[in-house]
Amino acid sequence: MDNSFAQRRRRDLLLAAGFTAVAALVPLFVKDVYVQNIMVLTLMYAALSQSWNILGGYCGQISLGHALYFGLGAYTTALLFSKFGVLPWFGMIGGGLISAVIAMALGYPCFRLRGHYFVIATIVIAEIAYLLFLNWDWAGAALGIDIPVRTDSWLTFQFTRSKLPYFYFALGFCVVAWLVTFWLQDSKWGYWWRAVKDNPDAAESLGVVVFNSKMGAAAVSAFLTAVGGSFYAQFVSYIDPESVMSFHFSLLMALPAVLGGIGTLWGPVLGAVILIPLTELTRSFIGGSGRGVDLIVYGTLIVLIALARPEGLIGLFSRKRKGASR
Amino acid sequence: MILNRRDVLLGGAASVALLPLAARAQTAEVVIGVIYPLSGASAQIGVDAQKAFETAADLINKNYDFDLPLAKGEGLSGLGGAKVRLVFADHQADPQKGRAEAERLITQDKVCAIVGTYQSSVAVTVSQICERYQIPFISADNSSPSLHRRGLKFYFRAAPHDEMFSTAMFDFFDAQKKKGQKIETLALFHEDTIFGTDSSNAQLKLAAERGYKVVADIKYRANSPSLTAEVQQLKAADADVLMPSSYTTDGILLIKTMGELGYKAKNIVAQDAGFSEKALYDAVGDKIPGVISRGSFSLDLAAKRPMVGKINDMYKARSGKDFNDYSSRQFMGLIVMADAINRAKSIDGEKIREALVATDMPGEQTIMPWSRVKFDEMGQNNFADPVLLQYNGGKFVTIAPPQAAVAEAVWPMK
Repeated sequence: MDNSFAQRRRRDLLLAAGFTAVAALVPLFVKDVYVQNIMVLTLMYAALSQSWNILGGYCGQISLGHALYFGLGAYTTALLFSKFGVLPWFGMIGGGLISAVIAMALGYPCFRLRGHYFVIATIVIAEIAYLLFLNWDWAGAALGIDIPVRTDSWLTFQFTRSKLPYFYFALGFCVVAWLVTFWLQDSKWGYWWRAVKDNPDAAESLGVVVFNSKMGAAAVSAFLTAVGGSFYAQFVSYIDPESVMSFHFSLLMALPAVLGGIGTLWGPVLGAVILIPLTELTRSFIGGSGRGVDLIVYGTLIVLIALARPEGLIGLFSRKRKGASR
Repeated sequence: MILNRRDVLLGGAASVALLPLAARAQTAEVVIGVIYPLSGASAQIGVDAQKAFETAADLINKNYDFDLPLAKGEGLSGLGGAKVRLVFADHQADPQKGRAEAERLITQDKVCAIVGTYQSSVAVTVSQICERYQIPFISADNSSPSLHRRGLKFYFRAAPHDEMFSTAMFDFFDAQKKKGQKIETLALFHEDTIFGTDSSNAQLKLAAERGYKVVADIKYRANSPSLTAEVQQLKAADADVLMPSSYTTDGILLIKTMGELGYKAKNIVAQDAGFSEKALYDAVGDKIPGVISRGSFSLDLAAKRPMVGKINDMYKARSGKDFNDYSSRQFMGLIVMADAINRAKSIDGEKIREALVATDMPGEQTIMPWSRVKFDEMGQNNFADPVLLQYNGGKFVTIAPPQAAVAEAVWPMK
C-alpha cells in the first residue's frame, strides 16, 4: 500500500515534469501569435480551474462565484498600477491576499449553508460585487480601466507584441497551482476535505474541524484565482466589470474541472486543454458566419463528452489509475 | 502543461488552412478586417453590420454612378484597381476575444486595416492591438468619448461621440427656449453599462454649463425585470424633458411602466439605442407620439441627395431593412477607410494612417448629414453633425439641426 502510494505520487510528478518540459518547448516551434494566445488562455484556465477544484472538487463546496476573486485580483492590480504606479507584481500578491481574506470573511456565514444553498449564496455574492464595481466611479465604473502602456519589461509585465513572457508566466502559474493541489491532496488537509465532501457529519464525529477545513480550502482557492485575475488584467490590458466579474467567468472556471473530472489532480488540466482551444477555434474559424454554428458545435461536443464520460474525461484513464493506486 | 502535440497540430492545421488566403493576398486585393459581435446577445447587430459592410464593398468594387468616394470605377484606382476583400471576425462582446481576433486578423489574414466594433469596451482592446501593430483602426459606430482621448495614433472615428450627440440635444433645447418654450428641468434616466454611463456624464456636464436643472438622475440596472420604483421617481420629479439612455427591452419596459403608473412625460428626448429600434415602436410606439431621438442618419436626406435612397435600397435588398443609425455609420466607416487606402496607394499601415490624417471629404459625398469628414489630432471627426428625429404618425422626420431638418418639431409632444 505504502509502496503503491509512493509510486503513484512519483508517477504524477514525473508526468507533470514531462508535460511541463514539453509545453515549455512548444513556443519554440509554434511562432503564430494567435495559436500562442490560445495556449496562454488554455494554461490560464487550467490553473484557474485547478484553483477552483481545491474548494469545489476536493472540499465539495461548489462555488459559482469565483469571478469575484478573479475580479478582485484583476482590479487590485489594475487600480494600483493605473492610480498609484504600483508594479503589477505587488498588485498580484495584494489581490491574492485581499481575495483570501474576503473568501474567509464570506465563508464565515456561508459555510453554515449546505449543498444548493451554498451554491446560491456564492452566485449572489459575486453578483453583488459585480454591481458594486459597475457603480464605483473611482474604479472606472462601467467604463472599466484601460491599463496605461509603458515600455516592455518584466517589471511592468507588459509586452507589446510578444506572447512568450505571458506564456511562460501562465505555464509557471499552472505548474504552481498543480503543485499546490498535488501537495495538498495527500496532506492532512486533503484527507479532511474529502471527508467533509463525503459526509460532513461523519467527518465532524471523527474529529475533523469541518468549518476550519472549509475556510482553509476557500482561502487557498481564492488566493490562486486572484493571481489568475491579476495576470488576465496585464494580459488583456483593459478590464471592465463585465469582462472580469460576470457570472459567465465563474462558469468558465468550474467547467474544465467538471468536464475533466471533478476532485481529481489531472481533471482541470485535461478539461482546459480540450475546452479552451475548442471555444477559440470554433469561434475563429466558423464563427464569422453570424449563424452561431460555432456555439452549436461547441455545445454538441460538451453534451457528447458528458454522455460518454459522466465522471469526467479523466475516467478514460481510470483503469490504469486504479491499478496503480490500489 | 499537456499542450504539446495537439497545439502543434492545431498550429499547423491553421497555417495550412490559411495558405491559400495568404497567396491570394499577394494579388490585387486589399484585405480589411471587420470585427463585430456575430454570436451572443448582440448578434443581430453584427449580422446587420455584415450586410452594411458588404454593401460598401460592393460599391467600391463595382462601378456605380454615385458621387461617393470610390463608387465610380472598379476597385481602388490608387492601387491599380485592387478589390477590397473583407474578413469578418466574431468578438462575442468580450474585450479579450476582440483583442485575440484583431491579432489573428493582423498576423494571419494580413489585413491592412480594421473596422469595428459596436461595443465600446471591445473597441478599447482592438484599438490597442492595432496601435501595437501600427494598423489603422476606424471606430465605425462606437460612441464612447473616452475612446479617442487615449492618445492613440492609429485610432480614427468619423462618426459623432456621445458628447456631440448630447450637445445636439441641448442646442435644440436652447433653440426651443428662444422660441418661448419653457424648458427648465430635466430628468436623466440611464442604464448602468458603458453606454448609459457615458451618455449621462455628458448630459450632466452640458446641463450644468447651460443652466438646466437636473431634477432626477436615475441610473438603473440594464435588463431590469421591473422599473416601477424608478418610474415613481420620474413621476414625482415630472421634469420638462425626460432623457432616457436605454436599450430596446429597457426602453419598452420604461414606456409600459409609465403607462401603468399613469405618468405622461411632458417631452421625451432619447439617446438613440432602443429609441431608434423598430422593435420599440412596434411594441409601444402608439403611447409616445412625438418622442424625439438623436441619430447620426436620416433617410430624409434622400430627398436632397438621391444617392442616399439608392444606396439604402442596395442595403435593403441584402438585409430587408432600411439603413439605421448603426448600419449607416458602419457603411461610412468602410468607405472612409477604403478612401484613405486608395489615396495612400499602399497597404502599409503608416502610409494609410497619413492618408487618414489628410482626409477631407465633403459631407455631400457621404450618405450622412455630416458637414465633412476631417479628423482632429486625436482622430475624431468633429464635423459629424448628429440629427434629431421626431417620431410622428408612425415614422421619423428630421427636425434638427436646421440644415438637415425637413419639418418643425412638435413641441411639447402630444
